[in-house]
Formats: sequence, structure tokens, C-alpha cells
Amino acid sequence: MRKSIYMVLLLALILGACDSDFEEMNVDPTKPEQVDIANKLTITQLYTSGSRYEVWRNMLIYNATMVQHLASTDTDLWVGDKYLRNDGYASSQIDRDYANAVKTIEDMLLQVEQEGQPAEMEAIVRILRVFVFHRLTDLYGDIPYSEAGQAIISNNLAPKYDKQEDIYADMLNELEVSAAALGSGMSGFGSADIMFNGDQTKWKKFANSLMLRLALRISNVDPAGAEQWAVKAINGGVMTSNEDIALINMQTGPVELNQSAFGQVFLVDDVSLSTTLVDALSGDPRLPILGARASDESSAIADLQGFPNGLDATMLANSTGEEDMLNYAHPNRMLVGLDAPTVLQTYAEVELLLAEAALKGWVSGSVEQHYNAGVTAAMKMYETLYGSAAAVADADVATFLANNPYNAANGMEQISTQHWLATFFNEYETYSNWRRTGYPVLTPVNYPGNVTNGTIPRRMTYSTSEQSNNVANYNDAIASQGADVMTTRIWWDVN
Amino acid sequence: MIQKLKKLLLLICVFSAHTIYAQTTTVSGTITDSSNSMPLPGVNVVEKGTMNGAITDFDGNYTIQISDKNAVLQFSFIGYLDNETTVSGQTVINVALEESSEALDEIVITALGIKKSTKAVGYSLTQVKGEEISNVKTTNAINSLQGKIAGVNITTNATGAAGSSRVVIRGASSLSGNNQPLYVVDGIPIGNNNNGAAGEWGGNDGGDGISSINPDEVASISVLKGGAASALYGSRASGGVILITTKTGKNQKGLGVEFSSSVTFDKVNTSLNEYQTEYGQGKFGLKPVSGADAAAIGLNAWGPRLDGTSVPQWDGVSRPYSYAGNNQENFYNTGITKINTIALSSSTDTSSFRFAVSNLDNDDITPNASLGRKTISLNAGTVVADKLTANVNVKYIIEEANNRPRLSDAPGNANYMTQLLSPNVSVSSMNPGMNEDGSEQQVLSGNPYITNPYWAANKFKNKDKKNRIIASGSLRYDVNDWLYVSARAGLDHYNIRRTSLTPYGTAFSALGGITENNISYTQIDADLIIGADKDITDKISVNALVGTNTNHVQNEDIGLSGQQFIVPTLADFGNTTNQSGSRGFGEREISSIYGSFEVSYDDYLYLTYTGRNDWFSTLSFPGKETPNDDFYTSLSGSLIVSELIELPEAINFFKLRAGYSNVAGGAQDPYQLGLTYQIVGQGHLGQPLGNITNTSVPNQNLVAFNKSEVEIGLDARLFDNRLALDLAYYKNETTNDIVPVAASVFSGYSSAIANIGVVENKGFEFLISAKPIVTDDFSWNTSFNGSYNTGTVISTNESDGDISVGQPRSLNIAVTQIVGEDYGTLFGTAYARDDSGAIIYDRSSGVPIAQQAASRKILGTGVAPLTLGFSNSFKYKDFNMSFLIDGKFGGQVFSGTNAAARGAGLHQDTNPNGGRENGLVVSGTDTSGSSFTTTVSQADMETYFAPVGIYGIAEASVYDSDYIKFRQLSIGYSLPSKYLDKTALSSVNISFIATNLFYLMTTAPNIDPEAGFNVGNGQGLEWFGVPPTRNYGFNLNIKF
Repeated sequence: MRKSIYMVLLLALILGACDSDFEEMNVDPTKPEQVDIANKLTITQLYTSGSRYEVWRNMLIYNATMVQHLASTDTDLWVGDKYLRNDGYASSQIDRDYANAVKTIEDMLLQVEQEGQPAEMEAIVRILRVFVFHRLTDLYGDIPYSEAGQAIISNNLAPKYDKQEDIYADMLNELEVSAAALGSGMSGFGSADIMFNGDQTKWKKFANSLMLRLALRISNVDPAGAEQWAVKAINGGVMTSNEDIALINMQTGPVELNQSAFGQVFLVDDVSLSTTLVDALSGDPRLPILGARASDESSAIADLQGFPNGLDATMLANSTGEEDMLNYAHPNRMLVGLDAPTVLQTYAEVELLLAEAALKGWVSGSVEQHYNAGVTAAMKMYETLYGSAAAVADADVATFLANNPYNAANGMEQISTQHWLATFFNEYETYSNWRRTGYPVLTPVNYPGNVTNGTIPRRMTYSTSEQSNNVANYNDAIASQGADVMTTRIWWDVN
Repeated sequence: MIQKLKKLLLLICVFSAHTIYAQTTTVSGTITDSSNSMPLPGVNVVEKGTMNGAITDFDGNYTIQISDKNAVLQFSFIGYLDNETTVSGQTVINVALEESSEALDEIVITALGIKKSTKAVGYSLTQVKGEEISNVKTTNAINSLQGKIAGVNITTNATGAAGSSRVVIRGASSLSGNNQPLYVVDGIPIGNNNNGAAGEWGGNDGGDGISSINPDEVASISVLKGGAASALYGSRASGGVILITTKTGKNQKGLGVEFSSSVTFDKVNTSLNEYQTEYGQGKFGLKPVSGADAAAIGLNAWGPRLDGTSVPQWDGVSRPYSYAGNNQENFYNTGITKINTIALSSSTDTSSFRFAVSNLDNDDITPNASLGRKTISLNAGTVVADKLTANVNVKYIIEEANNRPRLSDAPGNANYMTQLLSPNVSVSSMNPGMNEDGSEQQVLSGNPYITNPYWAANKFKNKDKKNRIIASGSLRYDVNDWLYVSARAGLDHYNIRRTSLTPYGTAFSALGGITENNISYTQIDADLIIGADKDITDKISVNALVGTNTNHVQNEDIGLSGQQFIVPTLADFGNTTNQSGSRGFGEREISSIYGSFEVSYDDYLYLTYTGRNDWFSTLSFPGKETPNDDFYTSLSGSLIVSELIELPEAINFFKLRAGYSNVAGGAQDPYQLGLTYQIVGQGHLGQPLGNITNTSVPNQNLVAFNKSEVEIGLDARLFDNRLALDLAYYKNETTNDIVPVAASVFSGYSSAIANIGVVENKGFEFLISAKPIVTDDFSWNTSFNGSYNTGTVISTNESDGDISVGQPRSLNIAVTQIVGEDYGTLFGTAYARDDSGAIIYDRSSGVPIAQQAASRKILGTGVAPLTLGFSNSFKYKDFNMSFLIDGKFGGQVFSGTNAAARGAGLHQDTNPNGGRENGLVVSGTDTSGSSFTTTVSQADMETYFAPVGIYGIAEASVYDSDYIKFRQLSIGYSLPSKYLDKTALSSVNISFIATNLFYLMTTAPNIDPEAGFNVGNGQGLEWFGVPPTRNYGFNLNIKF
């Protein structure tokens, strides 16, 4: 009797300490162990379209005001207007892109290899990768590229910064190889590809158009290389109409990820058009499409006025007498719907790049022809993007070109100014091209407390967390490129 | 009563004098408690000088065979004074034992609820009576212990009454894991999850688990500080254990009724605020010229001196340009907290029960914020059958919190604007905060995220309702007089239903949104123990147990989010354009076996060994190579020197104790080992979205962390127990700490999980308590406790990188674990200085602009190493008074509120001696290296202070957080018993109570030095919390 009691007790003791189903218990029942690569492509494209966080801080608050498309008197939020410092805003693109787009892209490349997906799918991912990285390097200069986003793949928690020169060389190569791997017809991604619906031909045109953009970018620092790549791109076949525009369509919901970044920003905030932009659009049929008076959305030309950059509310009141924001023009509401498309590269831009290539003598062909085609495309594309309410009549285009013909004497200035106008709301590209060409000539502002000595900033600053999390590589980058401040010039910015 | 008994015994003895004595005599009798005549089971009866002994049964009866009719019988029982009675031929000896009220034989409740005598305890353990937390009540019971227990550091966050608390015992031992202790209530562990916390982007504190406990029902709290004390609890007790025992009905003859009622009033304490009140709203020394101008200028007080003229304000209305009063006093209400409890208890020979009902009603100082808590509890124990007893504890708690104030970042945070308005702008002008169309009346035209305080307080809504049941039942079977088996099972289950509304018409979210969550949590804990307590020889006795435990936790969070309301007036999920849902789930289990073996020699030497092995589900994974279990041990001993050798007469009791332990910890979250993906939302344009969920690189070979500790201490009582001294020194080291190693943002992940952290804590605790005056009418008790702890980060990862554990919205400073530095170092942006330490300024614009150093610097430590508490209580006849003063020293705090005040022109620094008109003299070095001294004019002061404003150089806003506070006061009166004898009442106590009355010393300007915005490991950051309050009220306690 006694013995059996002890046996029972012992058994109870042992049973109480079993761990047989622990392994299954520790696997999250709400999450899958792998997902279809197509689903990852779609989300990466959504990330690339931008989220409110970094589009607001980097694209609008900094880039758009520095190139004097937009202006604001606010000194708390809209720091870029006066070249004031806000480290968190300046690093916002890094803070979002690497954790979202870059990480998913590296994961996709791994999955392509593991699953043996067809070559054209890998090509598409690599083209997208170049797009994401070129924006980052153009904003910051030297950045981690070859070792980026690989914490799980190669255990690298502290990637080294690659020199911009090397990044550009690799990106151009990637575009060439990827374009070559594309065929015709639909890719394995199918309709999961929300940029081109799987159309490989369009991807090829996009790859070459991007190659053309990057080639012109390096034209000041490596003219020979730039010419080589531009010719390759043109021979490979670039965009030929507004139907080829690289864009991502957005939705009004259900969550912020689905919505246009601009739409989200302008739901809570507003900003005015800079007088630099409004004056440049004088006589241009695009003015009433890009702007509207803030108080009543009137797009009558007489009602549209901007104000200069670099002023606060008191200074504006003292200079123009009008300090009520509502009486100035703000971005037209047609452009800021929650479902407005996000544009990555336009055909108009391509034509203007071709005009420049012709001007530099890299290709034969009429500069004027490309210039006119570029301006026409830039005016007509709003209908494609935002619907018939944004249409510019052909007659108006013709009138404009007749009144403002191409003049070879200031060819570079005209082409660059049209590029500056055509890339409104694609401010990353405006900022990069303006830095390279120097046109249109902008008068910098000099507000108390600015950190650039009254000059337009030439780059954004890195995340301050790098000073603790990646100190050695961060210091190497500074030693190589220059101090981590907004006045340091990046490699291709030698103008 | 005793006299009568003794006379009876004598009579019996006389009558039995003629009885012939045999060689062995049987003596029997009943042992009772002298205070209430209840029988005492388990009393040791020993024939002195022999091995012959017996133990009283459930009815207090014993029988013993003795050989010598003149033997002496020794009666002893824990908690009572020993008794020796000579047999002298008697056959029935009944004894009434007196309870030992002296500390020499105090009972303390140790791990697993085992009661031990203080003598036997080889580690530091502090036990306080329930009155310590029920006398001066707070809405979160644990806060009343602040300053009372050495080594226990309690901090609350600045969120008003419904907030959570952070309790850290002997320094935080994990770099980023949970450092709070395990709370065990009536034998079962309860969940203490913080259901929501404010981070750098704002949010509100969601309350914690320990706040559910009703202070009126607590009988005692045992704090098990070190590893030796808590080793029996295994891995969840790496931060120590707080054992709470609630009141039972034992020893209550007849029906006892206890009624307690307390009312306290809370008023915002603005005495710390020293902002300037001489200059009004404006920029560059100029007043606003119109309403639109004022709205654009916003929270800037850089205008000219207040002169009483009529000047436009944000709403277009012109008001006098003079000081409009303290906005905190204008905005915050007087809070009221009412706590009422009624309890019934009773006991018989075989059973007892206590039933209590309690209601807490709190209206917080922030308008519309409130907390209600109802608790019903039952404690019952009974003898079920011969040798079998059962105990049941059930607590049912219903808690409803409305509009917990938001902290930290500005959106929806009423504290933000209230604390930054210029001196001439009254917050009352912003009431009710609505335009005619019902939308938010925006005060600042430039930033929609800084919410109108009345809109935030009245229109933002969050509400959570929690239903919680904490129940446990136990059975104990006494196999014989030295062997027992006990089984216990407990449950902590709660359900929270939460709604959070961003109202339609909010400036930063015009169409608003609503989220609904249903959170459920269940913890089941079960133990089976076999224990033995036997005297092996007359000097050596053994007390051992072996047990097994299973602890299973499951939680689920089902959420709905609806954004953009369609019909403006209907705040319902169905009325939204964009709807999404989510479900989160977590489950984990720990299985263990454990044992404890205590041997004692002659009542002066005690040695205890414990061992426990835990198997963790959170460390299990298919294909994992490292073990998923861990074994830890502890060894502690105590030596009662005063019983071993002859000490000077002044020393009544002197005990030395020492212990060594190792405990495991961490591994509390499931699903950390594998890489997982997710399908995100409802897709886009009809296409599903999928990506990696992890933002931290998982580690498949994770193991538990190990914490080993050595402690020594002494416990002495002197001068007839009028002076007691308890000292402890400890050193502990955590190795293999599970840390998220910070990864570069460029890696795509914010961190990687690794087992490489090492933290060391060492410190010293003391408690000196004395009774300097004890007379019939007047007595004075005093106690002084303190602890000094330094925590050092020994290593973090292979490259000894830094780990950030918290940062404010400005992102310019972070609480960081840095190798070689204190735990929780404040690491942030600092002034650029030249070799002599002078600040470098850029003077190229004419105004000296302070430059920021190229790299961040260590600016302080977020946790104060030295804490002291001083309490005194006085009793004069029927009056009593007690007060508690406590302080913390050696820590620093980064104050976002001060930084913002400086940038806004409110801070007293911006009003130099002689006023702004006379300029501010600044000395430093300029960027070319030469020293300069210049005077900054009034118009330029704004530019001068901009670099040290809200997003600026963090160093300028890091302050010492030393303080000494008059924390608690209680003045009471007990009705003398002569008035009560004729009534049914057995005691009536009434007292006046007050807390947080004033600071005797504080170093950080303008803020409460204890303010923080969450209770996580990132302590030392302050950002726009609810201001501190003073509380006064009354407490009434009546017993029938």
C-alpha cells in the first residue's frame, strides 16, 4: 500500500515536468513560414511609392522647398524652407526604406535563388532595387549598398558604406544585365506587379530610361562614362509615350499603406506654392492644374500667387502685407487625392534627357524636337495621371511652344528648367537634377539659425543612430566623403 | 481564565495523588492559544533531555509516554513563547501558549507560502503589514510602499491615477528584458502585463496587473529580494518576488465586520514651476499684430514685456497683455478618490472565511478622466476530512478606466499645450475647443498635431473595461505528523474590452477613426508538493520539500480599426470608410520540478539548499540544438550568534546570514526563435501583400539568461529590542542576457537577438529601526532605510556595441546600455566644446549659435543609485501620527518639457537677471578658436536659445534628479475602548492622510523629478506627462 502511494506520487512528479508539445507551442499560429514571391513584389512596390512619413519629411519638407517648388512660413515643421536642421526629418528616407523596401528586396533575391524562379523575375527585382537605391544615394551620397539589408542572410548588422562612384557603376551594370534578361510578354509575377502588370516590354523601357537618367546624372563627374551609358540606354529602347510612365496606382484605403503618401500628408497639412514656381509658370497652361487658391480652390490665373521661400509669418506680413495662407496658391487638390498615382519616372523627363544628350552631341537628332516633345508630354501627362479635369488642350500646348520657343543659346537652362517644372511632385528627381545642372538659377535664403550659411543644402544627413550602432563604418564614410552635414558635396555633385 | 485552569489542575492532581505510578506514564492534554483559547495543532511536545516527543493534533490534543514522573515537558511552536512544565505526577497537562510578540520569533512568509521563523531565514527578506498600504491608500496599491523597503525602487509614470508602476528590486538585472518582480497573490502568480504604454510617438499607459489588488484586503506583503529568497520560483523571479497574502477569517470569533472608507482630494502641484511670467507671446521681441499672426506664432513667448495693453490672441479676440494665471491650475480639476470596503469574516474550529466587497471611484485631475474599480473577494478555509484541509481564494475585479491621459508626444496629449502656452494666454480661452461646425478649434495654425487641450480632454476618448478573476484552491493532506502532501491550482484570467477614439474633426485627422480591441489573458498555475518537517535528533531537524509545477499563459488580442468616419456624429466602427482587423496570439508554458532542503542545528544554525529545473516552451523550436531547460540552485545559511556565544547584554539577538544563488530568467515571450512572414491587410488593387514580420533578427539557439548572486547580511536587535539593525550586501551578475543587439538601420533590421549580455549589480541595503521612547501614554517609533545600488553593463555583444532601450520623440537622446557604464545611461547630443570645456559657438550670423558635438556623449544615468526613506510614527494615548520622507540621489533625467520651454521662451533661463531688455551675457569660444564674451540682445534671444529647444542639444536639458520629498503624512485617532464596550463596535479609527505634500529639496527645474512616460527599461526620460499632484483626505476604519 505504502509503496504504491509513493509510486503514484513519483509518477505525478514526473508527469508534471513534461515538455513534449513545447516545440509546436512556440511556433506562431497566426503567421505563415513563407509567402509567394509575387506578394513580396507588390508590397515592395507599395513601399517604393512612399509612405507619409518619409515623403512628408524628405520629399516635401526638405527637397520641395529647397528647390523652391513649395514655400511655407512655418518654422516648426517646414524646416527645409529655411535650411534649418532636423536630423530626424533628414534621415527619414533611410529610416524607412531600408527596413521596408531594401529588406524585402534582399529577401526576394534570396527566394528567387532558392526557388529557381525564371530569369525575368529576378531581372524585375533587380531593376526595382536600382530604383530604390539610386534615390537613396542621390540624397545621402555614400551609403551601404552591397551589404545592405542582409542581417538575416549574412548576419551583417553593421554594413559598410559603399562609395557613390562604385554604387553608380554597379547600378548601371545591373540595369544593363537585367534589361538584357527581359523578353516580351507577361512575366511570372503577373498582375501582382502593380507597376506594369507584368509587361516585360515596359520593364525593359523603364530599365533603359532609368539608365538614361543615371547616365546624365554622372555627366559632370565622368563625361565619357555618361555618354557610353546614355548611348546604351537609347539603343536599348527608352519610353516612347505617356503610356510608358512608370507609376504606381494607389487606393483610398483600407489602411495607410494603400493610400498615396501625398494624399495622407495633405489630409492633415498644407503648404503653399513658391513664388519662384508661380513666376516660372507664367503663361504656362500648367499653372491652373498644379495650383489652386487655398481659400476657394479657384484656379483663375489672377487668383494664383505664391510667396518667396525663407520667410516666417511676420516677415511675410511685412513684405507682402498678406500673411493669410488661404490667399496664396497651394498644390491643386487634383494632385493630392488618397488614390492619386505615385510617379517614379515620366516620358516627359526622358524626352528632356534625350534633348540634353543631343545637345551634348552624344546622339544625332534635333535638340529642339526632343525639347518640344518633352514639354508637350509634360503638359499632356496630367490628363493621363489625374483624369480629364487635369487636361491641357493641344492648342494651349502649341501656343505655349510658339511663345516660348527653344533657343539654342541657353539650351541647357531651358531644358533644365522644363525638367524642373515637369518633375513637380517628383521632388527627389527635381532636387537631384537641379544640383547637377544648376538650372533654374535659384536665389538661396538666409534665415537666422540656418545650418548651411545661407546656401541651398547639397545632401541630407545620415540617421543619428549610426553614431552608436555602426560607428566604425560611419566614421569611414565621413573620412571618405566629408562631414555628415548638409553642405557636403556628394560624388556626382561637382557643379 | 488561566488561573481557574491551574486551580482545576491542582485539584485533579490532589485527587490523583493516590494513583499508583507505573514505569511509563501517559500524559495528555490540550494546548491552546492564550489570547483566544483556540486549540493549536502542530505544537511540539518534548520530554526534556530525551528524544521522546509528540505533536498536538487538529484539536490541540497530545499524548506522550514518559518514563520519569518528574520529567519536564517542553512545549514549543513557531510564533509562541516556549513553555516548560514539570509533570510532577500529573497525567493531564493543558497549556496555553502566549504569542511571541517580540521579533525574536517572528514568522515570515517565504517562497511558496512556507512560513519560517526569522531565525531560519538565510537571506534578506522584508515583511510589512497590510496597514502600510491600506492606511494611506493610493489607486495602485504598490505605490504606497515607496520609500519603505530598502532595495525596492518604485517609480510611477506621470499619467494620473490609473497608471502603472515600475518596481525594481536590487537594480535591473536584464539589459532589455522585464525587470519587474513576480507578484504572487495567495500562492499564485498573477499577470502584471502593462496593457499599453506611451512610447516616443505618444500613446497612453494601459494600466498594469498589480493595481487590481485592493489595499484594504492585504494582510501582509513579503518582499523576497535576492536569488536565494526567490530561487524556488524559478525563472520568472529573476527580478525578485513580492508575496501578497490577503486577509483571512482565522481567529475571528463570531461574525466580524470591518468597514473602511477613505476620501482623498488631488490637486495639481504647481510649486515646482518657475517659468518666467514677465514676457508674453511673440517672436523676436514683437507682439502679434492680428489673430492670424498669433495663431502662426503659436507657443512662442519671445514677445516684449507684459504691459497690459490689448493684444490679439489665437482666436482673433484681443485680450490684455498681462499674466493670465498658471495654466495648469486653470486646466486641471481637483481630483477625488473614494475607496470603500466592507468585509465579513468568521471562523469556527474547523473552518473560516472572509468575504469582502470594495469600490474605488476616482475622478482624475485631467478633465473627463476617471477610474472605477469594484472588487469582490472570498477567502475560505476548512477541514474537509481527517487530516485534509482545503483553502479557496477568489477575487473578482471589474475595472473601468475612462480617458487615460495621453503622454509623451503631442497628438491628443492635453498636457502638451497646457504646459507651453505663453504667460498672457490663458488655456481657459480654449474651452470647449470646438468650432461652430463641431471640428477642433485649432490654436496653432502651423502644426495640427499640437492638440487643443480641451479638445484632447473632452473629445478624445479611450475606455477600457477589465473583468478579472484571480482564484486559487489548495488541498493539504497530512499523511502523518511530519509528512504532508499539498496540491494547489490557481487561475488569473482577465478580459479587457478597449475602445479608442480619435474624434471626427480633429485637426490632424479630419475624419477621425476608432479602434476596438478585445484582449484576453489566462494564466494557470499548478503545484504538487510533498513535504516533510521532522526532528531527526533533539538538535537536528530537517524541513524539506519536493514539488512539480506547471505554468501556462495564453493571450489573445483581437482588434478592429476603422478610419475616416462617414456620418460625423456616429463614433462607431461600422461607420467608417477604411476598415481593417487583426488578431494577435501568444502562448507559453513552463514545466518544472524543484526541491528545498533545510537542516537546522540546535536552533542556532540553519542551512537551506534549493534546486529547480525549468523547461521552457519559449526556448523550444524544431531543429534547435541548444537545450530548452535550465537548472538552478541556491544555498543559504543563517547563524544565530546570540545563541551560540555570550554577547554583551545590550545585544538581544544577533544573526549572520549568507546566501548564494543562481536563477535563470528571460525567455518570457513566445515565437522569438523563428523567422516569420505575414500577409498584410487586405492587399492592394486586388493583390495580396506579404513580407517578413520580424524587425529583429531572431536567434534559433536562444537560451535563458543566468543570474548568480552572493549576499551577506546581519540582523541585530539591541537594548531590549528597542533598536533593530538589518544590513545586507549583495553582488549579482547576469550572464547570457537576452539582448537585442542594435543593428545599423542599413541592415534592414533594428536589432538582432543574442545571448551575450552581461550585467552586474552590487549594492548595500540597510534598515535601522528604533523605539526611542516607549511609555504608557507615548511612544515613538522611527526607521531609516536605504539602499545604494550600482548596475554596470559588462558586455553587450561581440563588438561591445550599444543597445538603445528607449528614446523620446526628439530622438536626440536615448537610454542606452553602454559597455563599462551604468545600466540605463543617458546618451545623447551634447555641446561642442574646446579643450578647456568652453562651449563653441558659431558667430557668423551675429548671434552666437551653440554648436553640437560631432558625436553623442554620456550625459547621465537614468536610475538613481541611492534611495533613502525615513519614517516616524508617534502614539499619544489614542492619537497617532506618522510621516514618511524619502529621497533619491545620484540619477539624472532628460526633460523634454524643459527643452521645449526653453525654445518657447517660457523657461526661467530665458529671462536673465535684469530682464531681457538688458540682454544676456554669453561667453564661450567661437568656431575659429578664440574666446569671446558678448551680450545677446532681446530680439536675438530667440535665435540664441533655438539650438537648445525641443529638438536641440540634449545636454542642455539633462538635470540631476535628486530630491527629498515629504511623501506621506497620517494623523489619526482611535476611539478609546471604554466608549466602544457598550456598543457592537470593536474599534473605530479615523485619520487625516496626505501624500506628496511638498519637496524638501529638488534639483531638476519645473518638473516632478520622478516623472517618466512609461515603466519600461528606458527610465530617465520625461516628456509632457500629467503634472504632479498633492493629495489630502480622510480614512475611516470601523470594526464590529
